[in-house]
Amino acid sequence: MSPISKILVYINGTEESITAAQYALVLAASTGASLKVLYVVNTKALNDLVTARIFLKAEQMEYAHDLQADAERYLNHVRDLARSKGVPIETESAVGNVHQEIVNRVREDHIDLLVIGELSHIRSRRDEFYDEAERAMRAVPCSVFIVKDEERVWELYNKME
Amino acid sequence: MALVDLITTEVVKVPLTSRDKTGVIEELVQVLVDAGKITDREKVLDAIHKREAMGSTGLEFGIAVPHAKTESVKEITMSIGIAPQGIEFDAIDGMPSTLFFMILAAPDQSGPHIEALAEIAKLSKSKAVLQALIAATSADEVVELFRVD
Repeated sequence: MSPISKILVYINGTEESITAAQYALVLAASTGASLKVLYVVNTKALNDLVTARIFLKAEQMEYAHDLQADAERYLNHVRDLARSKGVPIETESAVGNVHQEIVNRVREDHIDLLVIGELSHIRSRRDEFYDEAERAMRAVPCSVFIVKDEERVWELYNKME
Repeated sequence: MALVDLITTEVVKVPLTSRDKTGVIEELVQVLVDAGKITDREKVLDAIHKREAMGSTGLEFGIAVPHAKTESVKEITMSIGIAPQGIEFDAIDGMPSTLFFMILAAPDQSGPHIEALAEIAKLSKSKAVLQALIAATSADEVVELFRVD
């Protein structure tokens, strides 16, 4: 029996998150685990920016639309990656506070492994500077896999039949 | 890429030499041109000015966050400038701006763009940090305020 039966990979459009999605595909294929790919439209950050008056209302609408388009684009990209290797996946676009949405999905779907992209290796002195994926990593009740070494991941993905 | 990854000495200018809003914007863009972060200076200036025309990015407490989407950058890009003497930037509180964070992102990088701006918004609530930044006299000092070696 595989120790991993349900994987959730969080993507946000960064190269690191797409590499994480590739590794999640490799893991799902090798373990037989189900795989869900999650993109979160960060409306909390949008609201914070309007409150801080960094964004105008018009910008909030424009960027909300952009985020939805980004979600579609990146989820489609991962669907293509999965399809080309014959790995069945589920995709979801959620809306809200990123780390909270990740935690919610992990709990609701009984995920046993969260896969995320490489975090910054530079430590910040400032508590205000945080990475949403890092926050999720600390908050989720399941194990977390942080994917590094993009080159190796590409090799593993390309070797998949 | 986390915001802290973007804060390097090559994108920090202390002190800014410009004396007006247009000059500051050009100076912050030039920092990024010199650092090799921008492929088309004029397009970036145009994007920044278009955004400013919608409403000034000068906030309270001397902070300004000029920002724009542009295809002239490959990834999230930021420059920081400090003008201790203050520069009129049409800020919402009517006061001169002293601390400038310019953030640029490609159009398909909305997620990271928004997260970067949100981090700046959080930072702007910390008066101690703002005071330390305004008092900084070198790019090294500014970077040191953000990163742990």
